[in-house]
Amino acid sequence: MIVFDKVSKKYPLGNFALNEVSFEIDDKDFVFLVGPSGAGKTSIIKLIMREFLPTSGSIVIDEEDISSTGFHKVNALRRKIGVVFQDFKILSDKNVFENVAVTCKIQGLSSGETKEKVRATLALVGLKNKEKVFPIQLSAGELQRVAIARAIVGDKKYLVADEPTGNLDPKTAWEIMKIFKKLEGEKTIIIATHNSDIVNSLKKRVVVLKEGKLIKDSRKGGYDL
Amino acid sequence: MKEIFISLRRAPYQSLTAFLVLFFTLFLSLTLFVSLSFINGILSYLETRPQVTVYFQTKTPESNIFKIRDELLQSGKVLSIKYISQQDAFNIYKNLNKDNPLLLEMVSADILPPSLEIYAKKPIYLPEIAEYLKKQGDVDEVQYQKDIVDRLLTLTGILRKGSLIFFSYLIVMSVIVLTTTTLFKIALKKEEIELLKLLGASNSYIRRPYINEGLFMGFTASTLSFLILLAAFLYFDPFLKSYLTGVPNLSLDLNVIKLTVWPFNLVFFASMYGLSLVFGCTIAVVSSFLATKKYLKV
Repeated sequence: MIVFDKVSKKYPLGNFALNEVSFEIDDKDFVFLVGPSGAGKTSIIKLIMREFLPTSGSIVIDEEDISSTGFHKVNALRRKIGVVFQDFKILSDKNVFENVAVTCKIQGLSSGETKEKVRATLALVGLKNKEKVFPIQLSAGELQRVAIARAIVGDKKYLVADEPTGNLDPKTAWEIMKIFKKLEGEKTIIIATHNSDIVNSLKKRVVVLKEGKLIKDSRKGGYDL
Repeated sequence: MKEIFISLRRAPYQSLTAFLVLFFTLFLSLTLFVSLSFINGILSYLETRPQVTVYFQTKTPESNIFKIRDELLQSGKVLSIKYISQQDAFNIYKNLNKDNPLLLEMVSADILPPSLEIYAKKPIYLPEIAEYLKKQGDVDEVQYQKDIVDRLLTLTGILRKGSLIFFSYLIVMSVIVLTTTTLFKIALKKEEIELLKLLGASNSYIRRPYINEGLFMGFTASTLSFLILLAAFLYFDPFLKSYLTGVPNLSLDLNVIKLTVWPFNLVFFASMYGLSLVFGCTIAVVSSFLATKKYLKV
């Protein structure tokens, strides 16, 4: 469970990325974070990943206050969150298999387990025959699939995606969303997006942000700004 | 191992640079170590050469001389003492002047003084021994070459201190050069390190490949430098044998152990290789550690 309690993030120049934002996300929930650019979607993801600390308020994940300066289990926290970055962050000198296997290796899985899990995950995201292919040979959609595979391999509890369909054509974007749909009910899924078609079609929980404030939180909501 | 080879293959020039720097450093260090071992061995050998010669009055009973000899031996400062009796002295004299019968006729054993040739364990004991001897009643004259001993002592000290400074410099230089080289290599992987941190990798996990690569390079560079030096030894062995004729052995006293440097032996070679491995691997690991430290604050 993720709990944001009056979380604010203020930048040194004085502008707020987030302003007293509060919400709770239950285990295995499927949530869209929507809002225009600069609304604070990425900041929420970065706070969940503990890339930075909030200026005020608290963030509790699985009953641990990760916003406390005394929180030292950052690596353990990150190991249970699969993240799909906006810019993919695919390693260009590693092939598809190696890119996905990174997660398993960090989790300390054996070579046999890693092979098994990576292959199963690549099959799930539709990259079964691309194990040995290098990123430069892949399309944007395929790169996004590699990023998703890396985020979901190794039984992570949370899956966080920052604009996973941002650079993709509508057809590929829907194919990517189908992968997330397949994982529904297995993991807590948080997707930051401004793809209104997808949000409106899927009818999931929608948390709407604008200028750093939470303006709407609705079950089976739509892209409504 | 597979990952190490993949990493080396993917950044061949940086790997080659790091390897060559390490190899050069190790080869130089090993050459320096061997040279200093030899110099130290030779100096240690020479240090035992200076002696005090004490001449007794001709009428001194042998028992008095032996008493002094025994006291000196018990002092712990003396390596060995050779007693030259009047007859021995005469024999030496005869041998030296065998071509001059006139000189031989004029001298008999009675007029030559008995003496003791004293070999000290360390040159610094020589003045002390000489002072002690001068205070003995039957002593006629005490001779020792103070200047030569002093110079030898100074030279030994300078060489030992100099080698220590040079070794320290070599270590610092190697670590700096290797850290810089590794930093260049790691800089290419900055994004990967940032990603690994975001995926929850521990610092030790991130460091491991660089440390392993460092260990591999350290091992390879030290083995190669050892083998090249070993080949050089085998090549120069006949020359050294003839050059060091008469020198039974040269040893390096390291306080804990006494290492025989010459004649070449398995223990010396094993020590050389062991030292090279420890030195190479330590430099490589410390450099990798320092280089990665900078990129772990994500």
